[in-house]
Amino acid sequence: MKLSAAQRSRLAVGGVAAVALLAIVETLAAAIAPSRAPTEGDWNAAAAAVREGFRPGDLIVAAPAWADPILRVHLGDLIPPEMAARMDDQRFPRVWEISQRGARSPEGERGEVRADRRFGHLRLRLVERPAPAVTYDFVARWNEAQLDPPAAGARTLQRKIVEVDQRLRLAVMTEPVGGRAVVITFPAVPLGRELAIATGLHDTWMRKAAQGTVQARLLVGARAVALPETTNDSGWTETRVDTSAEDGRTLPVKLEIRSAAPFDRFFAFAAEARR
Amino acid sequence: MRRLTPRGIDRLIAALLALFAVGWLLAVEGGQGIGRDEAQYMRAGERYWGWFEELADNLAHGHPARSFSAAGIDRYWFDNAPDHPVVMKVLYGLSWRAFHRCHCTGPTRGLHPIPVRGRHITLPLFARESTAFRFPAILMSGLLVAMVFGFSRRWLARAPAAAAAVLTLAQPHLFFHAQIACFDVPIAVMAFAVAFAYWKSLRDPRWGVATGLLFGLSLGVKHNAWLIPFFLVAHYLWMRRGDWRARRLPRVPLAFVSMLVLGPILFFLHWPWLWVAPATRARSYVLRHLEHEHYNFEYLGRNFNNPPTTPARKWLRATAPFVETGLTVPVTTLVLAAVGAGVLARRRRGDPVQPGGESEAPVAERPSWLRPGADVDRAPGAFVLLQTLGPLATLAVPSTPVFGGVKHFLAAMPYIALSAGVGLSALGRALGPALSAAGPRVRRAAPLALAGLVCLPAVVETQRSHPDGLGHYNLLAGGFAGGASLGMNRQFWGYAVLPMLPELNARVPENRALFWHDVLSDAISMYKRDGRLSLGIGDTGFGEDGIRRSQLGILFYEKHWAKYEAWFWESYGTTRPVFVREREGVPMVTLYARGGGTR
Repeated sequence: MKLSAAQRSRLAVGGVAAVALLAIVETLAAAIAPSRAPTEGDWNAAAAAVREGFRPGDLIVAAPAWADPILRVHLGDLIPPEMAARMDDQRFPRVWEISQRGARSPEGERGEVRADRRFGHLRLRLVERPAPAVTYDFVARWNEAQLDPPAAGARTLQRKIVEVDQRLRLAVMTEPVGGRAVVITFPAVPLGRELAIATGLHDTWMRKAAQGTVQARLLVGARAVALPETTNDSGWTETRVDTSAEDGRTLPVKLEIRSAAPFDRFFAFAAEARR
Repeated sequence: MRRLTPRGIDRLIAALLALFAVGWLLAVEGGQGIGRDEAQYMRAGERYWGWFEELADNLAHGHPARSFSAAGIDRYWFDNAPDHPVVMKVLYGLSWRAFHRCHCTGPTRGLHPIPVRGRHITLPLFARESTAFRFPAILMSGLLVAMVFGFSRRWLARAPAAAAAVLTLAQPHLFFHAQIACFDVPIAVMAFAVAFAYWKSLRDPRWGVATGLLFGLSLGVKHNAWLIPFFLVAHYLWMRRGDWRARRLPRVPLAFVSMLVLGPILFFLHWPWLWVAPATRARSYVLRHLEHEHYNFEYLGRNFNNPPTTPARKWLRATAPFVETGLTVPVTTLVLAAVGAGVLARRRRGDPVQPGGESEAPVAERPSWLRPGADVDRAPGAFVLLQTLGPLATLAVPSTPVFGGVKHFLAAMPYIALSAGVGLSALGRALGPALSAAGPRVRRAAPLALAGLVCLPAVVETQRSHPDGLGHYNLLAGGFAGGASLGMNRQFWGYAVLPMLPELNARVPENRALFWHDVLSDAISMYKRDGRLSLGIGDTGFGEDGIRRSQLGILFYEKHWAKYEAWFWESYGTTRPVFVREREGVPMVTLYARGGGTR
């Protein structure tokens, strides 16, 4: 299509105007952006509001998640590792979400908003939702577990804050051995309607150094449930087992793990029986 | 008073632009922390100076050969070998020796890598020793700005050429690297210098020899220089595509012969460490980089530290240089560069890039290896395209380590700015008819005003990013916060600690047992030598044991360091930091105190 001189001129003026407008918008955005960040005063005010209504068992989260360290500067005394490195957010009936820039946390997505306040550039929401009762926390009661083969050398069963997929999780950790299964037995687990278990491989550098995968199987009483394969890329994988049929019963729960290439495989898991 | 010739005016503008660049960088570099790599290069530079010092002694005592013995060489030149050749490190050491304000015989005497024999007589230009180390890199950045102007002037009027020069430096990530005593901007400068010389050599044989000399120097700056010939050969083969069509081989031009001959000679001569065992050591240097480990690096929310194995991850990895460019270079610059690329693509063979620019019409009948671009159009569009895409495409290969991000393809950035200059020029010219009714002043001022306007966001954005240019992302991404939300890398190698040194100085006595995480002991020494860190502050060492021994500790936010935070929580008994250094609300460095400390 051939353009006339007048059309070309209009197009040129439009192009220049668009670039000039972009330059102005970009300049203004760069100049204004720093003032859009929450201030120390905003955080102090939001933290004070949380403290006022906080109850034991509540969850406090930041949105976006990258603001979490600043959240912990202000409210870290209310955020123990059990909360900060939680397996998931299911057990928490109330979520305090401090957000900025319109972000939302996954934890604050379900439930009813009971409070919604602004503190400068921060927004505080209290979300309430139904939460299951935890009948057995496998991580908290890790020392009831029996390890077969027994701990040897550096290989032990331990409760530890692990790093899976560059996120911290409070978990139970052990290492698979070559040629046989490692079995972790919790002899008496009061079951509810569901047993949730999450697994992953600890440590970025170990995931870089080794490639072996870990196969795991959960035995709830006599019932066996295969868990997804744990690999370098599988992250923190959660599986929920329906235990409605065993609700109210106390049964042994075993976790069997195997690996054909166990070198540098630090297998971590967290689990909860829930009603 | 004598009037300046047009060439004189251009030289004056180039000098002023270089001065502006050097002045801007010197004005801000003091806010820029010292990273792991820079600290090592400062240490190595000072140690290399020690060799020159010893050589002078040996000369004075009549036995200079001692400095050239294997032991005499290795005592100094082993440092940072085989990692990197030594052109820049030698310059850093010489600059330090020449320009620091000497208090080396004071309390920091023991912090030098070589013995301090006495007070140094210097030209004390800089209060901080680290500034003296950085000065050559800053001068190189000034040289780049001047060269981009000089190159652009071959194609463009003064205003868009000057804009191209400013837009080269006014990029947050390039600006970050332009201040520090490392090699990433210097090698980008040398790559541009070699390509500029090659371009001139296409019609002027004197530049053919100069191309080889500059290439030899480039090899002494950083191993990225190995890539330079590939992009130039690709252009040459395209420019001389007529030869292929005529079923004859293009002649090997003087520039390539010169690079092939002078490059290795200069490379070998410049690096004393090679002299002891040339073949073995050259091999170990090459293998060091061909087999370089993959460090950790965050890109789009994922931590990359191995070559990806699945097709999806390979594709994702391959996008990194292009996405990182798209999210870090100021958007106005990118839009202008896109316009410029269109202009270069639509240019008719033989025409100048812009009216009034250097003609591309052939000036000779026959091909010649001395002036291989004289009988053909030199294909400026292909030249800019290959120098831009070459570095980006190399870093897009999935098996290439991803760490370092933009710094590994900074060589593309001057050409993006050059292309932006072409785009600006085209827009300015297109505006001409619309201004025909305006007065001559307006017509003269419009291109200048437009050039100033398009430089403004880049300059403001760059100044905003300082000193955290690594964590800064452009308007498309949404700045620091947008980059963090996209899961882009925020920093690496411990640069970001400098602004919180006062916080660390104030925390006496816990700071005697301080865990420094990713800050190298050489950087800690330099902060102390600069007078920015109390001499009493300790260093408890690396890893989990370092945290166990400490009372106070810092943590840099990079995805792969997450487990260090777990160690803090376990060892210190708290998840609550006492201080977070942040930029626009985005955490950069966290400070923990044993037992929770006090805020």
